[in-house]
Amino acid sequence: MDKKEQFIAAIKYNEGIIYKIAAVYTNTMQDRDDLVQEIIYQLWKSFDSFNQQSSLGTWMYRVAMNVAIYHLKTTKRKITTVPLDEQLLNLHDSDNSETEEKWQTFKQHIDKLNLLDKGIVILYLENKSYEEIGQIIGISTSNVGTKLMRIKEKLKQQILKQ
Amino acid sequence: MELDDFKNTWHQMGNQAKETQHINLKLFDKMGKQKMYAILKKIILPEILGSTICIFSAIYIGINFHKLDKLPYQISGVLTILLFIVLSGISLMSIWQLYQPADAGKSYADALKEFAIKKIRFCKLQKLNITLSYLLFVTVILLLPKLFGTNHITGSKYFFIYTYTFGYSLLLVFSKWVFKSYNKTIRQTEDFLKELAA
Repeated sequence: MDKKEQFIAAIKYNEGIIYKIAAVYTNTMQDRDDLVQEIIYQLWKSFDSFNQQSSLGTWMYRVAMNVAIYHLKTTKRKITTVPLDEQLLNLHDSDNSETEEKWQTFKQHIDKLNLLDKGIVILYLENKSYEEIGQIIGISTSNVGTKLMRIKEKLKQQILKQ
Repeated sequence: MELDDFKNTWHQMGNQAKETQHINLKLFDKMGKQKMYAILKKIILPEILGSTICIFSAIYIGINFHKLDKLPYQISGVLTILLFIVLSGISLMSIWQLYQPADAGKSYADALKEFAIKKIRFCKLQKLNITLSYLLFVTVILLLPKLFGTNHITGSKYFFIYTYTFGYSLLLVFSKWVFKSYNKTIRQTEDFLKELAA
């Protein structure tokens, strides 16, 4: 399997994750799709630097989340992005309203968290262990535990306030 | 409802995305050119346009420098040219820095830290730009009658009084508003950096 095929297989396998991360960091479908494009581009650009020290999945989470931070300013500035080749992204929007509604509730709460907490929540929801979360985020395992406890409490308070 | 209750929604959303959103990866390696164009387009619109005006203004003053017959005007002319170049340079440099994504190998916390530092630097540079524009305003107004000739506007004895009064009032209101916004961003980002270090 050559490099390109290996990359495509990895992207296909993690497609859902990329979309979810993009959706967490953006507010509109257009921004989400732009961010997906940006993540894939950055993943491809830095694919050579993937040194197998961490798993491919861990590396992908890291790149995707790092790219998302830098995409935020673009979204805030409402800048037009390059039109995608029609063939590049073949997207059609879902009409699963129940999941969508639940997702909006989730987004409403997670948007109130700071960027670091947001990243921790994403990985926690992905069922990553504290050790893996620590590795991707770059903090100690015990710090992950402490931060998660605080985030859970914060979210609980937010939900109760509603 | 707690964080764990969202796990189900999270996974459903992932499956749904996988079923309905299909990334066609055949063309992903062509993204490089598009990406570069997108970055340039992003910067061209608000920043490069402003910088181009600054550079052309500096060139215009340079070409018409012979019209500045006295030393105070010549000093003012040199100062204006320098300010135009410095202002456009600062503007482009700060924006360009902000558009350079973090090294892919960095951890999320390090990328956040780097981004926060860049953001603070950007705000400070923009503040410096506005402060320098106060000086630019003085020198530009001083040069106007010399560069464009004395007419009924520039030749009026009230010309300097009116332009400086109104111009400065507008500049003050604008800079106060912008400074407030940048100061808020700097404060929030510094707080975030402290939290990140904790």
